[in-house]
Amino acid sequence: MTREKIWTTRREAMALLSGAAASVALGGDARAQGTPKRGGILRISAPTNPSSLDPATGGAGSDHAFLFTMYDTLTEWDFETLKSKPGLAESWSFTDPTTFVLNIRQGVTFHDGTPLDAEAVKFNLERNKSDPKSNIKADLATMASASVTGPMQVTLKLNAPDAALPGILSDRAGMMVSPTVLKASAAGNVARTPVGAGAYAFVSWADGEKIVIKRNEKYWKPNRPYPDGIEFAIIPELTTGVRSVTAGQNDLIYQLPPRQKVVVERSKDLKVFNGPTLYVFQIFLNWAKPPFDDIRVRKAFNMAIDRESFVKAALAGLAEPAYMNLPKSHWAYDKSVAALTPYDPDRARKLLAEAGFKEGTTIDLVGYPDQDSVQRQEILIEQFRKAGIGVRFLNAPIAEASAAFFGAEKRGSGLLAAWTGRPDPSLTYSLMFTKDAYYNGGRGAVPPELEAAIKESRASEDVQVRSKAFATVQRLVMENAFVAPLAFQFELVAMNKKVQGYRPNLLGKPKYDDVWLES
Amino acid sequence: MARRSPAKVVGSRLLQALPVILLATFMVFSLLKLVPGDIAVTLAGDNATDARIEEIRKVYGLDRPFLVQYGTWLGNAVQGDLAQSLLSGEKVATSISRAFPNTLLIVSIALLLALATGIPMGIVAAIKPNGWVDKTVSMIASLGVAIPGFWLAMILVAEISLKLNWLPATGAKSFAVSPLEAIRHALLPGIAIAAYGMAEVARQLRGSLLEVLSSQYVRTLHAKGLSMTRILWQHGLKNVSVNLFTIISVLVNRMLAATVVIEAVFAIPGLGSLIVRGAIQRDFPIVQGVVFTMVIVVIVVNLIADLLCAAVDPRIEQ
Repeated sequence: MTREKIWTTRREAMALLSGAAASVALGGDARAQGTPKRGGILRISAPTNPSSLDPATGGAGSDHAFLFTMYDTLTEWDFETLKSKPGLAESWSFTDPTTFVLNIRQGVTFHDGTPLDAEAVKFNLERNKSDPKSNIKADLATMASASVTGPMQVTLKLNAPDAALPGILSDRAGMMVSPTVLKASAAGNVARTPVGAGAYAFVSWADGEKIVIKRNEKYWKPNRPYPDGIEFAIIPELTTGVRSVTAGQNDLIYQLPPRQKVVVERSKDLKVFNGPTLYVFQIFLNWAKPPFDDIRVRKAFNMAIDRESFVKAALAGLAEPAYMNLPKSHWAYDKSVAALTPYDPDRARKLLAEAGFKEGTTIDLVGYPDQDSVQRQEILIEQFRKAGIGVRFLNAPIAEASAAFFGAEKRGSGLLAAWTGRPDPSLTYSLMFTKDAYYNGGRGAVPPELEAAIKESRASEDVQVRSKAFATVQRLVMENAFVAPLAFQFELVAMNKKVQGYRPNLLGKPKYDDVWLES
Repeated sequence: MARRSPAKVVGSRLLQALPVILLATFMVFSLLKLVPGDIAVTLAGDNATDARIEEIRKVYGLDRPFLVQYGTWLGNAVQGDLAQSLLSGEKVATSISRAFPNTLLIVSIALLLALATGIPMGIVAAIKPNGWVDKTVSMIASLGVAIPGFWLAMILVAEISLKLNWLPATGAKSFAVSPLEAIRHALLPGIAIAAYGMAEVARQLRGSLLEVLSSQYVRTLHAKGLSMTRILWQHGLKNVSVNLFTIISVLVNRMLAATVVIEAVFAIPGLGSLIVRGAIQRDFPIVQGVVFTMVIVVIVVNLIADLLCAAVDPRIEQ
C-alpha cells in the first residue's frame, strides 16, 4: 500500500526529513517525483455538476474545482497557509486605508485573445459588484468604485478599510472573465461559454456527464500546465467514482468522505493524499433563546465534547480537532485560544448546575438525515449524555434544515452542520458573529468589543496586526462560546500512480497547478 | 363485430394519452413545489441573505403563482420547447437527447437478455411441472426476484470489472460513435436489470403455459396423437404470446424505473441519473422534461404491446 502523507507544517516536515520517509512528497517543499513531463489527459472523477461556469452567477462551493482550472484570479494563495500571493495582479497596495491599488501583470491574454489589462479588470469587478445575477455582490461590498489609473493599474476606492480584499480577490470575485465574451453574449450569460485566462481553456460541457478543457498554450506561468487537457467525468455516487479510478477509467478523485479512506487504501494501485482544510464541522448555536442564552450552558455544552474521540470515531481520524474556526496551520491561528475549550464533563456538570439547568433536560438540535451526519449525531448524543445533557436531533434535508434554523422559523437551539473555508478569515467571523449576520441564527447580540475586533481585522493590511486582531476575535468568540466547533475535515484525494505533483491545499478546493502525468 | 383499423386504434390511444401526460407532469410539478427545499436558495449561492434569495426568485420568475409557472412550462412544452435547466442553463431537450440513448441501450439489452433466458426457462419448467428442472427454475426465478438490482450490480462490477477486467466499471459510450464500445459499457448494467426480468418472464410464462397445457383442447390434441413439441410450438406458445407481450410491456416500464438506481451505480449519464439530479436540485424543468419523455415512452410501449396482442388475438380489441 502506497500512502504519501502530506505534512503541512514545515516543522513536521523537517522532523521527518531525517527519517526514511524523506522520499515521499512533503507538502509544497519537496517534490522528489522525477522531472515533470508535458502531455497526457488528466481524467478526474468529479462529484457534482457545476452550478454554472460563470464565477459571478454560480453558487456552489464545489464549482471552484472547475473554475480554478479555467479562470485565473487576481490574487492567489499559498497552498499551506492561505496567505495571499500575486496572481494576475503582480502586486497590490493600500495607498491609504480606503484606496486599494492593483498592478496587473503585463502580457496576459484571455483564451479568446482579448488582452487582460486594467480595463478588463475594472469591467469584471464592476460586473461582479452590480450585475443583477451576480452572487458575489457582498464580497465586494466595501468597493465604492473602480477606476483605471494606468494601462495596467486599477484603483479601488473603498467605503471602509478592508484588508480582506486581497484574500477575497483569490476567490470568485477575482476570477477574470473575457469582457469581449461578456459583452457579446446575450444578457452577459457566460454560464456555458466560459472564457478566462486560466491554465486551461474550455472545450465542452455535457450536463451531469462530462467537462472537457484543453491546455492554454499562451498561459502566463512558465511551462504550465503540463497535461494537454483535463476531462472531468461527473459521477455523483462516490463509491462509483472510486471504482472508476480503481478500474483505471479515471486518474483522480477528490473530496472523498473519510469513510472512503479504508476503501481507497485497500487498492494497491492508488496513492492517497490528505491534508487539513478549513472545512469545519460545528454546531451553530442560537444564543438569543434558552438554553443557550446563558453563557454557562454554552460553555458547558462546549466542554462536554470530546473532540479527539469524535475525530477518531466519526471521521476515521482524518481530521483535526477544532477549538475555534481556524486550524493549526492557518496564518492567523492562535494557540492560546485552543486552551479555552478543554474536554471536561465534570466542569460542564458544575456549570450547568450553576445555571440551574436540570440534569437530563433535552436540548433540541437541528441536523441532516444522511448516513454520515446521523453517525456524527449518535456519537455526540453519547458524549453529551456523559455530561448530563440530553440532546435530540430534529433532522431535515440540508436546504430545509438550514432555512429553519437560520431563517425566520428559529427551529431548534443549535444546528449540526459545517462551515466551508473562506479565503480570508474575517469573512468567516463577520458572517457568523455579528448582530445581523445570517449565520448568527438567533440574530443575538454580540459584545461590542467583538464587532470592533472584527472591523479591526479588516482595517490593517499588516499580517502581524491582523493576526493580533484575529487572536482577539477568536478569544472573544470562544470565551462567549458562540459556536461549538468540532473538527476540521481533511481533504481526501485518491489517484493512480500516473498522476504526479498533486498538492492538497488548506482551502480544501483542489487546484492542479503542478500536476503532470507519467506516461 | 367489425374490426377497427389499426390507425384508428392508435389514434384513439394517443388521444387517451393526453390526459395522462397532463396529469403526470402536473403531479410531479406539484410534488416538486410541495417538498421542502428551494432552487432559489441554491441559485443564490453560499452566503446568500434572505433579501438576495427574494431577489433571485424575482430574477428567475420563481415568485409567480404556482399555476402560472406550470402553465408557462406546459405552453412551451406543447410547442416543443422543454425550456432549460435553471442551474446550468443547458437546454433540457439537449440533456434528454444525450441521455435517452444510454438508457434505451441498457433497457434493450436487459430486455433481450431477460427474454433470451426467461423464455426457455419458462418452457422447460412447464413441460414437466414439479420435476427437478421445474424446481431449479423456480429457485433461480425466486432468487432473481429477491436479489436487489443494485447489489447484483456492485457484485458484477467487483468481480467482472475490477478483478477480471473484462468489462468497464463505469460510464457510457455513444452507440452512434462506436456500437461495440457502447454495448460493452451497457452490458453489466443490462445484466443487473435483466436478472429481475428473467425471473419474471420465466415465472409468468410457466404459469400461463401450464394453464394452456392443462386445458381441454390440448388434451384433444394429445388424443389426436400430436407430439408434445408440435403442441407446444403450434398451439401453446401462440396462446401464451398475449401474456408474453403484456409481461414485456410491464417489464419495459419497470426496467426504465430501475435505471434510476442502476445508472447511479455505473455512473451512466442516462435519463435515470438526469431525473435524480434534477429532483435533488429542485431543477424542475429537467424533472418535468424527463417525466414527459418517460410517460411518452411508457405510452408508446403499451400501445405497441396492445397492437401486437390484438394482432395475435382478435378478441382483444373489442
